[in-house]
Amino acid sequence: MASNEDDFTARLMDDMDPVLLDFVKTKVNSFIKWDLVRFFHENPNTADTVENIAKYAGRNVTAVEPELDELVHDEIMEKRLLGDTPIYQLVTDEAMRDLVDKFISACEDRHFRVKAVYHIIRGMR
Amino acid sequence: MDRVNTGVSGLDKMLGGGFLRETANLVEGAPGTGKTTLGMQFIHHGIVHQNEPGLIITFEEFPKQYYHDAAAFGWDFKELEKKGLLKVVMTSPEVSRLDIESVGGMIERHIDEMGARRVVVDSMSHFARITQDPVELRSLEFQFINALKREKLTALLTRESPVLLGESVQEASIGFIVDSYIVLRYVEIESAIRKALLVLKMRGSDHAKDIRQYDITTNGFDVQSKFEGQEGILSGNPRKMAASFVEAFVKK
Repeated sequence: MASNEDDFTARLMDDMDPVLLDFVKTKVNSFIKWDLVRFFHENPNTADTVENIAKYAGRNVTAVEPELDELVHDEIMEKRLLGDTPIYQLVTDEAMRDLVDKFISACEDRHFRVKAVYHIIRGMR
Repeated sequence: MDRVNTGVSGLDKMLGGGFLRETANLVEGAPGTGKTTLGMQFIHHGIVHQNEPGLIITFEEFPKQYYHDAAAFGWDFKELEKKGLLKVVMTSPEVSRLDIESVGGMIERHIDEMGARRVVVDSMSHFARITQDPVELRSLEFQFINALKREKLTALLTRESPVLLGESVQEASIGFIVDSYIVLRYVEIESAIRKALLVLKMRGSDHAKDIRQYDITTNGFDVQSKFEGQEGILSGNPRKMAASFVEAFVKK
């Protein structure tokens, strides 16, 4: 019975744009990444060190750095070296920026947010 | 001489028509005096009225805040960014310095892509985060300003003054490096706070020497008449001039 309920919940929570579902499940799959993506969406021309980005996000550097690197791996952010200093910024690729716009716009809907939170928590298990 | 209008007609008159092109111009003032507003107006006017795209480099205030504040004056910065005429770049002094000194850096790329002619740096005070040594700081600021000039930008640089009323006690070596130096001050007159503007310096050009009142209206900066019958304006607590002095010298 519990398994049927789980299945029902999962189906209900999967009821979103498949592109965004994949984005939440595989790319913005943590709350820190969600915060970072929202920050860079609101401030799209930000380019800075992990220490400063952590300050902007109001979080700890050790928590932010691996998440930023995963966003780089998933081609949402880009990382370049300025001298010896790694600098992070949102990718300039228009398709990815459009996808980020779509995700942030979708987050304005409470139902979408509930579903996204569900998938993030599920992915963290 | 080629002038760059600031978008504030009263200030342009004080400057003899505007800033000189490809110069660095410092605007110093306490919190709330309108340094950032003047910077945004300078950029907006350049884009909309002079066909001169612009760049805002911010070291502390989030770009989101600029979009919001600009909208209050009817300036749609988001739309200007979409059109490729503006970029509000958030970074740190250390990164921007390294970036602009490198070939093909992010700032250079933005300037080239947009054909930017104007830049606002808000604020230069943050360069003090890089070094405590005043000699090194002056050298860093000098190098940064020269890089902006190399890119053929006319720059409006803001600087924070920690003093709300009266004259700043900060050492201001940057005042020697820049081409013009504008001071914004709060002044207490008859139990009310008013705002005063003075052009302290302008290299290569004459400029108004009087202290003007200004206000920030729904249209932005509005420079008004000079303070009449008052002395010691920059002290923050001006005194009324003696009636006989006003009669003899001011009213004539």
